[in-house]
Amino acid sequence: MSLLNAEIKEQVKQQLGDLVGPVRLVMFTQDFECQYCAETRQLVEEVAELSEQITAEIYDFVADEAKAKELGVDKIPAIAVLGEEDYGIRFYGIPSGYEFTSLLEAIQTAATGEPDLGEETLDALVKLSEPVHIQVFVTPTCPYCPQAVVLGHHMAVASPMVRADMVEAQEFPHLITKYQVMGVPRTVINESTHLEGAAPEPMVLEKLQAALAAGEEG
Amino acid sequence: MAFEPKIAHLESEDAGKAAERYELVIIGGGPAGLTAAIYAGRARIATRVCTGILPGGQPNNTTEVDNFPGFPDGVDGGELARRFQSQAERFGAEIVPETVTGVDFSERPFTIQTDRNTCRAQTVIVATGAAYRRLGIPGEDKFYGRGVSSCATCDGFFYQDKQVVVIGGGDTAMNEALFLTKFAEKVTVIHRRSELRATKIFQERAFANPKIDFLWDSVVEEVLGDQTVTGVRVRNVKTGETSMVKTDGVFVYIGMEPKSSLFVDELELDDNGYIVSNQRQHTSVPGVFAAGDVQDPRYRQVVTAAGTGAIAALEAERYLGDHPGQ
Repeated sequence: MSLLNAEIKEQVKQQLGDLVGPVRLVMFTQDFECQYCAETRQLVEEVAELSEQITAEIYDFVADEAKAKELGVDKIPAIAVLGEEDYGIRFYGIPSGYEFTSLLEAIQTAATGEPDLGEETLDALVKLSEPVHIQVFVTPTCPYCPQAVVLGHHMAVASPMVRADMVEAQEFPHLITKYQVMGVPRTVINESTHLEGAAPEPMVLEKLQAALAAGEEG
Repeated sequence: MAFEPKIAHLESEDAGKAAERYELVIIGGGPAGLTAAIYAGRARIATRVCTGILPGGQPNNTTEVDNFPGFPDGVDGGELARRFQSQAERFGAEIVPETVTGVDFSERPFTIQTDRNTCRAQTVIVATGAAYRRLGIPGEDKFYGRGVSSCATCDGFFYQDKQVVVIGGGDTAMNEALFLTKFAEKVTVIHRRSELRATKIFQERAFANPKIDFLWDSVVEEVLGDQTVTGVRVRNVKTGETSMVKTDGVFVYIGMEPKSSLFVDELELDDNGYIVSNQRQHTSVPGVFAAGDVQDPRYRQVVTAAGTGAIAALEAERYLGDHPGQ
């Protein structure tokens, strides 16, 4: 049975109709698929069918260990959204509910390679000399979450130093415990710095810079 | 969880660029702002809608809207928000997810500054809506987003088999308390009065739910905990006695506050911060109109917000006709 109904497919076609460049959805699952691994794979395949610019590539997390390493994928289900290059856009867990919006946005951003960010943010990100890892914890029923996820992904596209993950909290209970997630969206930057809620772009940038400063001190 | 894709319109090609001048700028992208945009678009008024970070407004925050006419089986709040936006886009309004950071209504054309742009407009409709009121008690800020929440649909999952308290006695408090029973083993409603303000149908459902119990005549004075929330300190307003209630999470639904802080020096506000508007949605500044929850301390319904949005747009159209070329 199809995950996307005819109406949604039509909307996706409309939204992705004018992709200017190729996009690869590189998906990791495993031989014995977890429930959401199977659904995520199916989702990736269905989305890829809706645009000639999109291709789906399915890998096995265990058998294709080298590929997973290359893309920094450390848990499944995972989707790496690649454009002309790997901008560091990742989805861990199924992009369901409101996060389906984040997936479509990521595809559009990867296709152009042009982040939609303010000038100040772009200036600051271009100057980054250290790696930044943004993890945005979400639930599929959270209307505020895509804003935080999309912002992270745009930041990833803006700088080769930044990689940004959507993490669907329900599928990774150990990470809920590790990062003490009790509400979403919760953005974790370089493990130590965190931000609650869908914050405006300048505030996230400020936190990102604070995270780097804290890293230097440590 | 079932796979249920939701497509929201987060971004637009128009983001990042703005024309110098618009006939109408609508501040706010909830039911009031988007209804105004539908009317303005059909009147062929050059319109820009600055929705802020979440187009669709408050309906996004609720699972089901049961009282919007035309949806006999109820409608998902996010879906309703999306439909408002599609309809506004269909008639040509330029809708951008920009947050307005400042306005100058002292001279026409009016100036509207956003986090991305500055533009000018001959008329403005303020439809910024309302936000959940905070308790303003110790511990609330510390735990906001990690134990204290106003979004049950977002955060309910984290309280599987745990205990939560819901503070408030209105429709939203009951609706969300009922929703939280899907996850939590126990939901305690703490209300400062001895009876609920909520619509009867919500009261009936809440009283019938075995997972919900009530603490009447009580106010929460502090959120307690070290790393995580462990409880709340509650005072009985009749006896003055204080007690501790053990809980893992606190959901706050004690009413709304109008989002009018940008307009304090620009428009007349009432004592509670609501924009003062007349029956035709005119504010104290000619050419500036207000619609929806930011000017409505009483009804705050999706349908009344939409209604005042329509009036504001029709009045803006009339104003533009009476003041051409400004």
